[in-house]
Amino acid sequence: MLLRLENIQKRFGGVVALKNGELAVRAGEVHLLLGENGAGKSTMMRIVAGMMAPDGGRILWRGEPVRFRRPADAARQGIAMVHQESLLAPHLSVAENIFLGREDTGPLGWVKRRRMQERAERVIAEHRFPLHAEWRVERLSPAGKQLVEICRAVESGSSLLIFDEPTSSLSAAESEEVFRIVRTLRDRGMAVIYITHRLEELRAIGDRVTVLRDGETVYTGLLAETTTDGIIRHMVGREVSSIYQRHTLAPGEVRLEVRKLSRPPLFEGVSLSIRAGEIVGLAGLVGAGRTELCRAIFGVDPPASGEVFVNGRRVIIRSPREAVAAGLALIPEDRQRAGLATGLPVAHNITMANLDAISRWGFLNAAAEREITYAFIEKLRIRAESPKQIAGRLSGGTQQKVAIAKWIARGARIFLFDEPARGIDVGAKVEVFQMMDDLARSGAAILMVSSELPELLQVADRILVMRQGRITGELPGRTTQEEIMRLATLENASATGEHHA
Amino acid sequence: MIQRLLPFLTLVVLFVGLSLATPHFLTGTNLSSVVRQTAVINIMALGMTLIIVSGGIDLSVGAILAFGGLMGAMAMERGIAIPLAVLIGIVSGGFWGFTNGFLTTRLKINPFIVTLGTLGIVRGITLIVSNGLPVHQIPQNFSFLGEGSWFGVPFVLWVLVACALMVHCILEHTKLGRYAYAIGSNEVAAFYAGIPTAFYTTAVYAIGGMLTGLAGMIEASRLMTGQPTAGQGYELQAIAAVVIGGGSLRGGEGSVTGTLVGAFIMGLLSNGSDLLGISPYLQQAIIGAVIILAVAVDELRKRKMAS
Repeated sequence: MLLRLENIQKRFGGVVALKNGELAVRAGEVHLLLGENGAGKSTMMRIVAGMMAPDGGRILWRGEPVRFRRPADAARQGIAMVHQESLLAPHLSVAENIFLGREDTGPLGWVKRRRMQERAERVIAEHRFPLHAEWRVERLSPAGKQLVEICRAVESGSSLLIFDEPTSSLSAAESEEVFRIVRTLRDRGMAVIYITHRLEELRAIGDRVTVLRDGETVYTGLLAETTTDGIIRHMVGREVSSIYQRHTLAPGEVRLEVRKLSRPPLFEGVSLSIRAGEIVGLAGLVGAGRTELCRAIFGVDPPASGEVFVNGRRVIIRSPREAVAAGLALIPEDRQRAGLATGLPVAHNITMANLDAISRWGFLNAAAEREITYAFIEKLRIRAESPKQIAGRLSGGTQQKVAIAKWIARGARIFLFDEPARGIDVGAKVEVFQMMDDLARSGAAILMVSSELPELLQVADRILVMRQGRITGELPGRTTQEEIMRLATLENASATGEHHA
Repeated sequence: MIQRLLPFLTLVVLFVGLSLATPHFLTGTNLSSVVRQTAVINIMALGMTLIIVSGGIDLSVGAILAFGGLMGAMAMERGIAIPLAVLIGIVSGGFWGFTNGFLTTRLKINPFIVTLGTLGIVRGITLIVSNGLPVHQIPQNFSFLGEGSWFGVPFVLWVLVACALMVHCILEHTKLGRYAYAIGSNEVAAFYAGIPTAFYTTAVYAIGGMLTGLAGMIEASRLMTGQPTAGQGYELQAIAAVVIGGGSLRGGEGSVTGTLVGAFIMGLLSNGSDLLGISPYLQQAIIGAVIILAVAVDELRKRKMAS
């Protein structure tokens, strides 16, 4: 056994993050670590990687009890971690990041730049990564940054590599690439611990699985002997009853129409229309221009040319402010950065886009605000202790609900959801989709960008596919993943050209 | 909870401690002199609170204070009535605040840099306009603003209370205040929510400038001169007051009560050291240490809450 955790405990103030963390990882296996948000997966892995010390329990490394005081201690033993959010130095080069903290130095502490560069190039070439040693890390995509972290782990001769939700910000093709890398590393005898939220990718990669729930290890076993339903049951601790149900109805009139919208080189000649009561999916690889299209429609980066019609009337939207005034809402993919003021109370977040309605001459009506926030917390079942709770302390799913509540409170009728289920629990995901369904049923028009094809197939009434800044086709909601991927990737798929509903 | 109240408790302990340590502290004359001394910094710090809550900073307030005071004094020198002159001081402060906000939002330059620049510009212009000489021709009555009393309480205290109530109201009960918190907490999210962030950021700096202009008039009244070199280093004291009172330079945090407590802690420290005969050199070091201590304690509290 390479790594064994016995009865690991960790508490933060009054909150117990881990009360009985158990884990056993062998060399040459991919060990999946599953659990809902807050189950203690990341805490457990931070302990293994030496980023925090446990309050109790034992860590055995190659059978010997060890104690890591800092990440460098774990690194020296051969434990490396690829983080969910990159922990690289953005202004330094790829090579400098690969060797950060273990620079190759001469007798006077002089850094041997050339040699580090060469060694970095060697690792990159060996794995056929699309990187160059001298590139600055800030220019890299999230996928590129992960590759740098992987290089770092390989180059330092690690024998255990921890991936914390590596594919959460990657496209399907990029995820495939990560799987390929993980399998190669495993076949060379490395142990891999892999945290993920995407249940559909389990079988593509894992050998064994450990499930955490509320800080405790509740299941461990061979993946081949476990069903996905069984895993979900262990994660949630109950039968998942409320499977999402879409109530389709005959769509109403066109709420949002976009004609030949362009912002070269990001996207060009995009036309689409969404009717009241419709949820239209927008599929494509990362970099296909989907997020950019949403941002353009919403006025964050206004388009270079093209027309936008709201409820049949031509509108010119040059800022989010004008978009909001036209009844649009954008739920951005990056909640922490753009969707929510995480340092402010839930109440303030809910009313943020709607202060005009509860103020007169610039003065806020506290009673009206209280009423609105309580109403939404109840109606949308937002699990907050009180309206005063700081939004950043909520779980990812609850945060997303608050971000959506803001727009419902504002009375938006056209919703642009960019990756609405990213980084949230299985249970919360269903609730978010249900909210979208409710909105559609009440006559809202919804555009849903998602890289998770099963999600799109489950939620969307029809699916538009984008490739390299153009819409390459439209598919009915009951299509297949293969069909979407074909349009998203293939050169000759653009036969259908632009689409109108 | 106790930690949140720590600045306030510190103030109380300081007050009680000084009352016991020296008989000269708890006297009407001394207390009103503390109020008069801290009023200027206090009023500037109120404006700074708004700015820091919105995620900004203003290093030019010391220079703006001198500019506002000089403009008001020059107006009075030319025979303009005192209330109107005070208004001129306020407006000229507001003008520079507006300029700071405008440059920060239009040129999208970090406010630290913008106000570092305007600090030099405003001070330079003040010196040019005045030829480097103080303005003395000021009507006697003007001293009432900084040195007079009303209902047995220093007049500046009334002014301070009025300003504090106003800024508190802005922060807690107006759209402007709410947006200041939102922009300071997450400017991108605020922008995405359709908030005209540039307008509100500029408004915040303009209000900060107006309060500084008023502080400039009070300073001028206390010195009975329009002093072009007034207010040097005041910006740091104002920032310190906000920070001791729980404001965060990362934005989104800060309160009027906190800032008042912060300013009075510094005021009492310096008054107390004077009364106890502690050298002014050491005073500076003590105040510096208190700033670091206050912020360290506050960070500790936040980290505890976060985990």
